[in-house]
Amino acid sequence: METARHKKLSENILDKLSLDFLRNQVLKNAYGNDDTVIARLDPRILLAWYLVLGIVPWFVQDLWFLMGCFLLVLVTTKLARVAGLVLLLFGVGVFSQTGYLFVVSLFFGGDSSTIAPLLVLTLKVATCSLASITVFSGLDPDRLSNGLMWYGCPERLSFSISYAYRILPMLMEEFQNILLSFRMRGNPPLHETFRGKIRYLFYQVKMIMQAFYPLMLNTAKRSRTTVEALEIKGYRYAAVNKTVKKIKLATLRVTYNDLLFLAVSFLWISLSILASTLF
Amino acid sequence: MEPAKKQTATQSQKLMVFVLTMALYGLATLFTELIPKFQVGIVEFSVEYFLFIPLTLSMLFDPLSAALGAATGELVFSEIMLGQFGGLGELEKFITVTIGVYMAGRMVKNPQNTKMVGVAAITGTGLQLLMGTVVDILKVQLAVEDFEAVAGLPESVFATEGFAFLNDLLFSGILFCLLPTLFLVPKLYGKIEPLLGMRPRDKKTGLGSINGKVILGSLVAFAVAIGAEMLAENGTALIEWEAEWAESGTALAIGMVAAAVVAIIALIAMKSSAGKGNAERS
Repeated sequence: METARHKKLSENILDKLSLDFLRNQVLKNAYGNDDTVIARLDPRILLAWYLVLGIVPWFVQDLWFLMGCFLLVLVTTKLARVAGLVLLLFGVGVFSQTGYLFVVSLFFGGDSSTIAPLLVLTLKVATCSLASITVFSGLDPDRLSNGLMWYGCPERLSFSISYAYRILPMLMEEFQNILLSFRMRGNPPLHETFRGKIRYLFYQVKMIMQAFYPLMLNTAKRSRTTVEALEIKGYRYAAVNKTVKKIKLATLRVTYNDLLFLAVSFLWISLSILASTLF
Repeated sequence: MEPAKKQTATQSQKLMVFVLTMALYGLATLFTELIPKFQVGIVEFSVEYFLFIPLTLSMLFDPLSAALGAATGELVFSEIMLGQFGGLGELEKFITVTIGVYMAGRMVKNPQNTKMVGVAAITGTGLQLLMGTVVDILKVQLAVEDFEAVAGLPESVFATEGFAFLNDLLFSGILFCLLPTLFLVPKLYGKIEPLLGMRPRDKKTGLGSINGKVILGSLVAFAVAIGAEMLAENGTALIEWEAEWAESGTALAIGMVAAAVVAIIALIAMKSSAGKGNAERS
């Protein structure tokens, strides 16, 4: 009975972590929230906003200011309706990192006074990552790559972003198919005992590694097709041509909403500066 | 035989290698980002790197395209797509991955020489990890004010970073970089190249081994990564100075608040007067 329940629990977790789930979460993160307030803002404005909130907190030690920034990005993350998995990863990442550092510093004779600087560090890390979550998952990939291109990022980067979002679902499906076919033909070791479980884990890892062999060959074929298709369209010349760039970026437009967003953020930050000067 | 012509792949072949590495390594890093790490005691069993993918491809194809593709793939798939873009830190990761993979790719003259493939794979991984460790230590020193004054923090940072380096190199390095590379390179050699319309790498088509120029270039690139950190340090002084200047008057802060309020009211008024939709570019 006990083992049965145990098995059920682990199966449940594995269910949650299946490739399908991951794929859905990633796609939802990319395309699932076109209708939020954040997604409708101009990408250039959002990137500029991110540059301020992603860099300035690193250089400021004032707790009021940092708290203000943190609350601001918390609200924008909520507005952007980011997928749950991403937020979970963020939480685990931030707190495991600084928590681990704290525990180790206890071994070296630190005490509770170590908490305060670590709290500041956590606040900084959290603010910067939430700001980037807002911008990079809140925005549509195409708008994001247009915004980056406007700031003069290399064309290859914006191409990579657009390409990545289109190719990823296909690649994941293919990888899953290969894994399934391995599983159909394979003979996994028994995993009732502890040793068996370890052997099973190694078997799984080995299978994933081996699955990359057919995947590499398939992707090589596909990337040749992609590049040839791009060449037919004259991609390499278009990438450096100014007129093409201008046509591509013609859809970007700054509206009053964008300015309003900036002004409200500015108001909040200046309020937190005011608080830090008063107290 | 025109060796100069044979040595370099054509531009579109380089783009193919770039796209190939980007897609594959991006997919792999996405998994590593999503799969939780598990710890046994203080030894961390993380599938930290699927670095064997770019390592393998850089040994078979043009190393620079593969290296840049790997770094871009990691940036785009696991950082930007999941919204974990970390600003300055990403530049450092980008550069270290590029250097590590490129070096490993240049070291291998003949992909069928297993010994050399193994040495190159572990060197590339070690190089990347070592550079990452150095920059990580610098980063914590920058972020925490009075780094030396906090009890136990400096030692713990050095200990954790040093331990993480060894752990990554011995565990992830051997299990996820060395062994798969040794398995994949001979197996793919001669099979994957025709798919991209290229000839397998041999003495004639190889780029030649690492020379002073390559090492110098890598050192310069690493200096850029460190330089970004130093720039940040200078920036600290600059912005802190500004903050002091702001602290000198609560009046100034009140002024900023007032300006923001006025701007918001003005924008709302302009928006309502302009009506919905086609707002003028301002």
